[in-house]
Amino acid sequence: MSKSKKGSFNINTWLPVIIFVLVAVIFGIATKGNLFTSTNLMNLFNQSVPTIIAGLGMLFVAAMGSTDITCGVIVALVGCYGLMVSTNVSPILMIPVSLLIGLASGLLLGYINAKRKVSSFMASLAMLMAYRAVVNLVLSNTSFYLPDSLAFIDSLAFKIISVIVMIAIIVYIFHYTRFGVYVKDIGENEVAVQHTGVNVDMIKIAAFAVSGLMAAFAGIYMVARLGGTNNTIGTGFEMKVMMALFIAGVPVQGGVGSKVYKLILGAVIINMLENGLVLCGTSGAVTQLVRGLVLLAAVALTAYIGKRFANVGVEAARNQKETAEEASK
Amino acid sequence: MAEEMLRIEGVSKSFGPTKANKDVNLVLKKGIVLGLAGENGSGKSTLASMVCGMQKKDSGKFYKNGVEYDPSSPADAAKHGIAMVVQELGVVGNLPGVVNMFLGKMDKYTKGPLVDLKAMHKDADAVFEKWGLPKVPLDVAAGTLSIEQRKIMELARALITDPDFLVLDEISQALSQDNREVLYKFINNFISQGRTILMVTHDLEEMVEICNEIAVLRDGVIVESKPSKEYSMDELKRLMIGREVSGDYYRDDQEESYQKEVILSVENLNVPGKCENISFELHKGEILGICGLSDAGIHEVGSAIFGLEEGRTGTITVRTVNKVLKKPGDIIKTHGAYLSKDRDANGLMLDASIGDNLILPSARELSGTAAFLSPVKSRNLAQKASEAFEIKSTGLRHIVRRLSGGNKQKVNLSRWLVKDLDYIILDCPTRGVDIGVKAYIYSVLRKAKAEGLGIIMISDELPEAMGMADRILVMKNHKYAAMLSRNTDFTEDKIMEVML
Repeated sequence: MSKSKKGSFNINTWLPVIIFVLVAVIFGIATKGNLFTSTNLMNLFNQSVPTIIAGLGMLFVAAMGSTDITCGVIVALVGCYGLMVSTNVSPILMIPVSLLIGLASGLLLGYINAKRKVSSFMASLAMLMAYRAVVNLVLSNTSFYLPDSLAFIDSLAFKIISVIVMIAIIVYIFHYTRFGVYVKDIGENEVAVQHTGVNVDMIKIAAFAVSGLMAAFAGIYMVARLGGTNNTIGTGFEMKVMMALFIAGVPVQGGVGSKVYKLILGAVIINMLENGLVLCGTSGAVTQLVRGLVLLAAVALTAYIGKRFANVGVEAARNQKETAEEASK
Repeated sequence: MAEEMLRIEGVSKSFGPTKANKDVNLVLKKGIVLGLAGENGSGKSTLASMVCGMQKKDSGKFYKNGVEYDPSSPADAAKHGIAMVVQELGVVGNLPGVVNMFLGKMDKYTKGPLVDLKAMHKDADAVFEKWGLPKVPLDVAAGTLSIEQRKIMELARALITDPDFLVLDEISQALSQDNREVLYKFINNFISQGRTILMVTHDLEEMVEICNEIAVLRDGVIVESKPSKEYSMDELKRLMIGREVSGDYYRDDQEESYQKEVILSVENLNVPGKCENISFELHKGEILGICGLSDAGIHEVGSAIFGLEEGRTGTITVRTVNKVLKKPGDIIKTHGAYLSKDRDANGLMLDASIGDNLILPSARELSGTAAFLSPVKSRNLAQKASEAFEIKSTGLRHIVRRLSGGNKQKVNLSRWLVKDLDYIILDCPTRGVDIGVKAYIYSVLRKAKAEGLGIIMISDELPEAMGMADRILVMKNHKYAAMLSRNTDFTEDKIMEVML
């Protein structure tokens, strides 16, 4: 029995890094270096934070092969009701109320998906539409502003520290706990996990809860960045987070290939792409087009490389041969 | 001398650096069954799939009825009267059975944009009728059929083109005793019309009984080919493996031997429409076989104890910890395990690594303070399981899908047996596994038994149950039929008598 080679080069592991470098180099040249000025790097950081935070939650759902597209609208709910409470009752309540909204939404989605067996995409699409209405109900004729006492959330120091802490916690949960392993294994084969006596429904509900909770955190950062809220906040944010996941090679069908580092790179890539296009002076429509094309290219490349470097036919034959040889000894 | 149906001359096939078939020469006469024996990876399936046009040969020639034949696709092979039932189930789960049967042969039934389902049903029924195959419901989605029904449907599908040369790859593995009888009857009927069957099977006893001739493949080379009567079982095994196999395959003692302590007691287990009033006790160090015809409900007993069947009633108590089993997780908490018959669908994560698969059942035990799942501890456990069971791979990162059937089953079994278990329920533990691994699994079970593990072995193969069990619970029509003892009752006649 040969030991597994630790240092062996795996294209799947490095692909996100390669895409990252490619996008950075292309836009670095296209913007004549303006992408890397200190002001723009700050911009990039500020833009990436909500994507990373919401993505950290959505990763749990994506690893199971499920979908949660409610994160954009949870951001809106946070902006609306979190700020409403902070304006009308007490500023500090903004954070717990926001997190409760996210958690409750996640639990509900998890319950509908796991216990009521509704596909997660459909369930979250329905919730997305319903929540949007709930937001418009309030925000169509009012707007809220961030109380000054919460402005610290948008300070660079607080952001850096809190984001690092959250990434560390999620890395721990996702890669070094039983829950994280089960979530990924459900993406590989749900029935097999069920056959090992794991309460799969509970794991699913918990994963959606994490996703909702992290979306609420993302909402808090976004609201703090904007300094207030309007009724279009968070629109299309779920697509951006999903692109961040899949552009860096998190498998669309979920499973053990899901990694936190891929999401973080993906979040930066997608924001760098948008930021770079703006710097190049491209119109909004073209930006959308490029986003779509790059996502398509990245996913196609991941799929192609996955196949090319794991040629099942050849490897299976070699493996059979090895088995036969060992048996005949 | 009968006329020849198919001649294989100097056929070779390589996958990259691996030669799957080397200069194979074989003649198949009309009106015979030729068995192709060999271990996993010896090139049987490759040879069969080339004959059926599923793969291109590198060199050599086929002659069908004396005319050179070089199939470009399975459809082309069908035109030459050659059809195949493949090992891996190839049905589209969401389509009704009848549509599955005519996939790729739909032209005849299309009227403009419409498909004439009625005519398809009629023709499908005619095939079942003609060959005396047991009825399979064809109007429901194929995915809802049992493995057995799907297999029979696939056989019928192969017969639609009315072939005179049929390749059966591991077909009987999925069938239980009574449907095997149906299959054997069909085979006899088929060859009595001067047609020919090429049969690939792991079940050597079956092969010797059914086939007129047997060709043994080893490492892609035919090492022997002669009438099956001229083989002894030992010779056959030796030729396949290329060395002597030691005699202790099954147990060699002829008496019940287990301890008095009861581990698991099942009282009045009921699952509507699947099993009725099943009661038994499993003792420490006992292997309890559960046998029955297809649809007798033997597999459901296993999944019902685990807790997957809807509407289960009755009491299942784990005596060692005095706990009544209620939901699927309970069996794990009481130091038990359940391995389903469908290993690939219900047991393994095929696209994950060996390591990931080995760790899954032990994740609870491995996690420590703050739910920390130590990578080091996990790797050690996986390493231990993989070494203890001699899993042949390039390491723990090897993807399970690329393992042979035998090694897959080793992964599936070892990850449970490294745990500290009191009892285990095995549903067809040697399904789709070659004799080398089979012998290995039996030796592992003998050892586990000696260490006091209580084993429930649900089996479709009578020789296996008779060879390994202390007692056999026989089921008939979802009900308890008899409890037979190793001491006196273990003869095939006696068991078949209660089964039927």
